[in-house]
This record gives sequence, C-alpha cells and structure tokens, in this order.
Amino acid sequence: MDHAELMLTAELAAIRLKDGELERLGVEVDRMLEYFDVMDSVDVSSFEPTTHASGQCVSLRPDVPSEGDVALAAGGRDAASIESMLDQAGDLEGRLIVIPNVL
Amino acid sequence: MTADMQRWRELLASPAEYTEYLKARDRDVGACLEIRVSGHEGPLVDAGSPPSGSLAGLPFAVKNNIAVKGWRLTCGSKLLSEVVAPYTATAVGRLVDAGAVVVATTNLDEFGMGSSTDNSALARTNNPRDLSRVAGGSSGGSAAAVAAGEVPFALGTDTGGSVRQPAAFCGVYGLKPTYGAVSRFGLTAYASSLETIGVLASSPDLAERVFETMRARDPRDQTSVERPAEESGDARSDAFGGTSVRRVAALRVGEGLSPEVSDVYRDSIRAMRECGIEVDEIDIPSLEYAVPAYYTIAAAEASANLARFNGIRYGIRPFHSDSPQDLIMDARSDGLGAEVKLRIMLGTFVLRSGFQEQYYEKAQRIRTRIGRDMDSVFAAYGALLSPVFPTPAFVHGDSSMDAFAQRLADKFTVTANLAGIPALSFPAGVRGGLPVGLQLHAPAFAERRLFDLMRSLAERFPALPCGGPVDKGGAL
Amino acid sequence: MSTYETFVGLEIHIHLSTKSKMFCSCPAHFGEEPNSNVCPVCMGWPGVLPQVNGRAMEMGYLVSRALGCELSGKTLFARKNYFYPDMPKNYQISQFADPVGVNGRIEFPLSSGGTKSVRIHDCHLEEDAGKMIHAGDLTLLDYNRAGVPLLEIVTEPDLCSGEEAEDFLRYFQRLVRYLDVCDGNMEEGSLRCDANVSINVPGAGLGRKVEVKNLNSSRFVRLALEYEVERHAKVLDSGGTIIQETRLWNENRDMTIAMRSKENSHDYRYFPEPDLPPFMPDKAFLSRVEAELVELPLARKTRFTGEWGLAEDQAEAMHESREKADYFERAAGLALERAPDAKVTGGTAPEAAVANASTAASVATAVAAWISGDLTKECRRRGMEVWSCPMTPNRLAELVTLLAEERIHSKIAKQLVGAVLDRDEGPESIIKAEGLEQISTREALEPIVRRVLEANGEIAERVRSGDSGKKEYLIGRVMAETSGRASPALLRTLMDELL
Repeated sequence: MDHAELMLTAELAAIRLKDGELERLGVEVDRMLEYFDVMDSVDVSSFEPTTHASGQCVSLRPDVPSEGDVALAAGGRDAASIESMLDQAGDLEGRLIVIPNVL
Repeated sequence: MTADMQRWRELLASPAEYTEYLKARDRDVGACLEIRVSGHEGPLVDAGSPPSGSLAGLPFAVKNNIAVKGWRLTCGSKLLSEVVAPYTATAVGRLVDAGAVVVATTNLDEFGMGSSTDNSALARTNNPRDLSRVAGGSSGGSAAAVAAGEVPFALGTDTGGSVRQPAAFCGVYGLKPTYGAVSRFGLTAYASSLETIGVLASSPDLAERVFETMRARDPRDQTSVERPAEESGDARSDAFGGTSVRRVAALRVGEGLSPEVSDVYRDSIRAMRECGIEVDEIDIPSLEYAVPAYYTIAAAEASANLARFNGIRYGIRPFHSDSPQDLIMDARSDGLGAEVKLRIMLGTFVLRSGFQEQYYEKAQRIRTRIGRDMDSVFAAYGALLSPVFPTPAFVHGDSSMDAFAQRLADKFTVTANLAGIPALSFPAGVRGGLPVGLQLHAPAFAERRLFDLMRSLAERFPALPCGGPVDKGGAL
Repeated sequence: MSTYETFVGLEIHIHLSTKSKMFCSCPAHFGEEPNSNVCPVCMGWPGVLPQVNGRAMEMGYLVSRALGCELSGKTLFARKNYFYPDMPKNYQISQFADPVGVNGRIEFPLSSGGTKSVRIHDCHLEEDAGKMIHAGDLTLLDYNRAGVPLLEIVTEPDLCSGEEAEDFLRYFQRLVRYLDVCDGNMEEGSLRCDANVSINVPGAGLGRKVEVKNLNSSRFVRLALEYEVERHAKVLDSGGTIIQETRLWNENRDMTIAMRSKENSHDYRYFPEPDLPPFMPDKAFLSRVEAELVELPLARKTRFTGEWGLAEDQAEAMHESREKADYFERAAGLALERAPDAKVTGGTAPEAAVANASTAASVATAVAAWISGDLTKECRRRGMEVWSCPMTPNRLAELVTLLAEERIHSKIAKQLVGAVLDRDEGPESIIKAEGLEQISTREALEPIVRRVLEANGEIAERVRSGDSGKKEYLIGRVMAETSGRASPALLRTLMDELL
C-alpha cells in the first residue's frame, strides 16, 4: 500500500495517524498484506464464499413495540437502561447528545 | 467434584471472606479488572440448603467484552474504560438464572485481538503457573482466574483461539462451542461470523455443565441455532448422544513446534493409543491457507464492528474538538491501541472496492473449502486432535514472539472458527513447570462427544490443580 | 440551444408505517422526547445484534409486488459502511446484492394526458439514521428515528423531464397510501426523494449524471430538475463537460448548489451482514403479501371511467384515496342493486356495473356527485371523514335511490345529508319519521294546486294574462302548503296546465 492508499484507508476508517505511527503501521500492514498473498496460490473458484456461518434462515420478529416501563430481560429496554445510556454520552443538552456543529 | 463445588458455594456464602480471598489470589496474577462479591451484608446463598440449579451458588468471572449490567464493559480498551453496560448478555443471564453469581470481570487483549492479554490497555495479567509469563489471549484474564483458583469457571470468547490458547497456557480446560450454539447477544463483536462465547473451567464436567446451561436459541441473536434433536435409537450413528469415539485423527505437524509441545503431542498420541483409541496422523492441506483467510475475514468484520466506537454516544471523547470529524478521529486515535488500529486498517482495505474479491471473497471461499475438508475428516474419524499453540506460555515481551509471529501461530486454532465447529483445549502435560495444552475438535453440535472422550481419558489426562504454579500443587 | 434528451432516475425512501423499528422493538413513532424511543440496539452499544421486523419485511415485499418486481426467494442484508454522527453503528444495515425486489415496471398517469411506464431497478429495505439538530456552534443528536424501517425504491433513468418526475412521484405517493405502507408525506419526511439527471445528444444514451438532493416536495423535484437540465444544456452548449457530483436544491434561491466534495468520494465497502442470515419467504408469507395487494390507483381510476362510466374529473376525485374509492364503489354497487331497471348478476359490484352499463353510469355519477358535493361539505363541517361517517355506503345508496325514484326531491335530499350525519339514522327512516316523502302523483298534488290557485285568484289571473314573474310566487305557495314536499317537476306541469 503506498502512502496515498494508506491515508485513504485511514480516512475511510476514521483513524488519524501521526507521522511516526503512519510509517510503522504502513510497514505492518504491508507485511500482513504480503502474507495474505499466500491465498493467491490456491484455486477455490469451485467453492461458494461462506457468507453466513450458521447455515440457517432468519426468523422474523412480530411488529410489537416494547413499552418504556416493561424491562426486556436481556435487551435492556427499560427506563433505567435508557437513563444509564444517556448519562454516559460525553456531552448532553437536556436529553440531546451534543457534538460540535457539523456545518 | 461435588465436594469441590460445595467448597465454592461455602466461599461465596461469605462475601467479605471471599472478596479477601479473591484479591489475595489476584494480587500477583492481575486477572481481574473489577471484583464485586455483592454489596449486601448477609450471604449470597445459603450454603446449607441444597442447590436448586446445577450451577446454583457457584461464583464465576466474565471476560470484559461480555456485557453484565451495571459492570464496566471496557473490552480492555482505553476508549471504553469508563463505559458501564446497560444490559446483560443472554448467555450470562442464563447462568445467573441458574443460580451462578458474577463476582469479577477479567482482563483481555483489547477487543479480543491478541494472544497474550498484553494488548490490554488497562492492566497486566500474569500466568499463575509462572508469573513472568503471559496468560495467553485474548481471554487471558479468565484463564488465569480459573488457574489461580479464584473462581471455578469463567467465560471467555473465542474468535481465532482466544479461549483455547489461554486455557492451554494456564493449564485449564477451554471450550469453544459450535458457532451459534451460544447466543452472541452481549458479546462485543470483533468478528461476527467467527466468534463464540466459551468456557474456561477447572474440570471438563464443569465446562460441560456451564455450556449446557448457556446454550439456547436466542431470537435476539439471529445466528444462534436451536439445539438439534438428539438422534435416538441408532447406536451406530454416533450422533451427539456421545457413544464412544474409536478413531481419532491427529493433525500431522512437521516442524514449527517447540520441543515441549512436540514432546507432549507425541506422548499424548501414544497415550490415546494405549487407551484403545485408533489414532491416525493426517494432513489437511487447505489448513495452509487458514491463517491468512482467518485474518482477512476477521479484520474485515472487525473494521465494521468497531466503527461504532467514536466517542459520541459513550466512551472517552477528547476534551474539545473543532468538528464532529475531529471528535471521531481523535476519540478513536487516542482511545484505540496499535493492534486494533492495524486490524481495522487491514479490514477496511480488504473490503475496498477493487480489492474485495481478491481478499475478502477469496478468504470466504477458502473457508468453505476448509469446512468441507473438515466434513471429510469427520466422516472417517470421531474427533481431530491437534496442538493449540506452537509453544507453551511465553515470557512477557519475548521478542521472538512479536505480534506478527503470534498471528502466524494461530494456525492451529483458527480452523475451528472458520469451520464453525466445537473444540476443547485440555491440559495434556507439563514440561519445565509449564502446562502444555492440546485440543480435540468434533463436528458441529458434537460437544458431548468431546466431553465423553475427555472423561474416558481422564486417568491419562488428569486436570491440573488450580491455585498457582503446578509443581506446588494448589488445593484451595 | 441544441436539443438534448433528458434522463431522470429517482431514488425514493419511504418510512414504513410499522409500530416498531426495523431491527429492535423500540416504538417507531417519533416526535416525543428526544432519545426516549431508544435501546442499546438502535443506539449502537457494544454487543447488540439486529432482529428483523416481520411487518417491514412484508411491506417490502408488498411494494415490490405492486411495482411489478421479481420477488427475491432469498433476500440478504448488507452493511453499508460510512462514518456520520447520526449513525449509531457507523454502518447502515441495508441491502445490496439480493434485495427484496428487482426488475419491476409501473405505469403512471401523466399530467399532460395519457400514461407512461417506468422501470424499477430494485426495492430494498434499510434502517434510518438519527436526527441532527443544528443549534449555533453545536449539533444536537436525537436517535429516536435511528433504526426506523425504510424502503428504498430505485427507478431506472426512464423519466424524461422534471414534469414527468413530478407526475411519477405524485402517483407513487398515492400508491403507497393505497397500500397503507406509508403516509407518503414529503413535507414531514415520510417520503424522501433524490434525483439523478443527465442529458445527452439524442441517440447517444445516458450522459454524465448529477445527483440532486434536498427535494422536499414533488414540486421542488420538478423545479430542481428543470433547473439542472437547463444548467447542463448551457454547459454542453459551450463545449464543457458536466462534473459528476451531488448538488443540493436551494428552495429560497430556486437553484441547485454543489455540495462540498467530501461527501462524494464514498467507498461503502458493502458486504453481507453476518449477523442476519438470509430471509427465504415461504408460501404462507407470500400468500399474506398477495392478500394485501390492492388494485393500484391507475387501474382503479380506469375502471371508474370504464366500468362505472364516470367522467374524468369525477373518477379523479373518487379514487383520490383508497378509502374514498372503496366507499364510492360500495355505495355505487348498492345503489345499482336497488336501481329499478338493473339486471341482477349475482356477482361483484364491478361485474354488475359492466352488465348494466348505462344504469351503472347514471347511478355512479349520482353517487360521485353526492360524495364530492354535499357529503364532503357536511362531513367537513362536522370534522368527519366521508368513509367513516354515519352516511354509510348503504345509506348513501338509499338516498340516491330515493331521489331516482322521485320519492324525494333534491332539496330534501340535501337536507337529509346533514340529518343522517347528525342523527345516525338512515334516510328512509328519517323521511318516514318527518313525513318528507315527495308528493309526486297527480291525485295528491292537483287538489292542492287548485286550492292555491283559488286562494290566489287575482295573481292567477295576472299570470294568465302574461305576467309570468308571479308564477314563481304561486309555486312557492304550493311548496309552502306541502312543506316543500311537492315534486317540483310535477308542480310546474300542473301549474302550467291549470293556469
């Protein structure tokens, strides 16, 4: 991966790399990619890619909304959970999460 | 066994005592990130009354990338170091419903990426058998907690060997279940199609009991699978009803094993033969491509799974940012470790248009082939034996085991993840004071077969005592 | 300016009107307190997994079916990866390789007359992002909307002008309302539309395309596209090339403006969503979808003009919404059954209509006129909807029949409309109770006319000698005598005879 590719990949991954880091990471990425080239030497064109590992179909969820005061056992949608989630947002204005302006 | 478990229940029944005990054991090991043996005064369980569930009154620890409501969910990362889970993972919930009690969360390689637990941004874990060495990873904390006698069992996660390898390093049992047998709801995703929640335990029976309690189809995890109906009647079919395994395949390994591991591997094959099991050494050529395929797929999925960590909704965010883009970039750049960044970069790259077919798609095809090859193995053999790692536990900062070398060393463990099959890592011997583990693989949903086999080999492959270095024994 | 061919394709997102979100069971409605309809799943917390909303899946298949698409036997979700503050996971679960429907075709009416067909590239399901509110140098995030189900419909670039695009969009809004999958409201954001437009010399195929966003109404779609086409033409005329980019419609300045290019270079790195195995619809599912398929607006209107013989503008009004169309057709069918000269077919209302063409037309026209006229007026006054008011189709049919049989006349009929709404009683029972039946026989009316003429002899004489203005007065007297029940037509005839 050349420098430009590396920077573009970092941008797509929302990672900012400082100069020293960029070098180091670039070397390690290249090493891994070179290692991945091993895969070129095998012909697996007769095999379909495994897109889903458990080999079954999805089951549909009934369109029933959960109510605020009913705790979902593991799903955590109850009032206490919502509060505890919001409390952990870095910056709040009332119930809205605050970030610097996008524009 | 029961006496053992009774002793744990008694310990748990005195929270103050148990807390002291835990902290003492963990002082040098550093397996635990948080220890909380309940806030209330009285006993958690009445040690005298008979246990209602099979796990009732047993304490356990949870790897810190699995959500437990009200406990921090750091994933070993600086970015999430203050995050508190607002919900509990399904698998943990099932254990708690059965009466087990969470008493600690354990250290891990950041987001599950690593083979030493030294990639944790928060703490250092030492192998209880030799404190100068790593506990393995990424579930090093859980393996160490069990091996140090802190808890009878702990939960880990296995994406490319992260339960089995620390189990082997610490001399305990490590089960990686069939993909989909245990719900992933609550497991912080690293590689969605490869990982499962696994069990680290001091005995195979306990590991089995924990697994059977945890497993279930969970509608919240659409990749979780209903337990298949056990075939009954036909003794020959040897479905997962656990009739005895007669023929075991052993992966032929030429070079690349340390003398200790090579020695234990030979010895173990011999021991199995002496127990009346036919062991054939076999080659599985497609495994040569298993590691690059694994890393390609895992990195790709990780790059997407970790994208949510941007400091906006939770997690550490920079004190001040000029724009949301800056906020996100800085939160991630400051909060994520080097190994994590590397895998995210790799994963982002192999999914990029123009490269996806050559890398990601190719890896998924190799994966299919490996799955078929494993099917063929199991058509002829009841189980597959292999090493877990080329060496026993290495020393912290061992330069011959740099990050790259560690990744390549995953070659024995990634197969089970790529094929979605169960594998059990067990203590197979001790060399120079260090445990050496081996693993048995079985077809999907044949966990019972693994445990039955383990039970039948119990005399030749006994459990190691858990409480510290192996030479010193370590009764509680 | 040279002539160019214009190619327009639309990408339409509709909010599916489910009760819960696409991948979790948080309530899907918003407009409540910010960040209250949320859970760890739709907030993108660690460890959460998606669970597919079955109703959204049904709606996705239903719309695909209505648009003539091939329905997928194995549909797959995919991750669309990009970073944005309103994205909880910084990937959107969408569909890419195997969406619910592909290769459709839909006919729609043109405002300039006639119809046109447009091909549908695909329909795919996805989840919405949260909402960002800009406030000074801060942006505020509300994730209530995050995870709400969306269906994206992508057309081929078959539309040839801004006007056609507007026509298509308006028809599409009506179609999704007919199917009851979305309220189709662009102003409120339940239906969003982006357009892709290019021009080229005739016969040369597609040109370099530009994407246009921020189109909050079908009218803006037309204006923005007309602006773009003109802009492209100017560029090409002067020998330049169109920059492929995304532009935003600025409704205040009536123009499109290029977006900052950051947004343009996206590599979404689509890959199959590992957390969701494929969905394979079974027979039961497909039957359910089929059962929900209704007659589309264009077909409905065509049948109203064809089988029911309605005039163009009446058919337009009657088929405006499915509720109204169903109401109209039910009332017309019942009225037809009651019509004295109707042939009984024992079939459906449309079949009866076909069998009784001319009667059907007069019945339907009458019913339609009443619906558009007095019924709508009286309903509006009372805050009611026509299709759910006390004037049931049966009662309306009764009213129309009473009128056709001349048992009441139109003035009484008008009064009856209000009375039925207020009293929740049928017209027949009201006229019996109030004694409102029209006097329409000679035997009954003639004596009254004679009586009035006798009582108003002088005025009668004056009319006889040519002062026709006073005739109205005499007619009025008879009406008053009969409490308005005299048949106006018969009354005039008798009046003329006796004078």
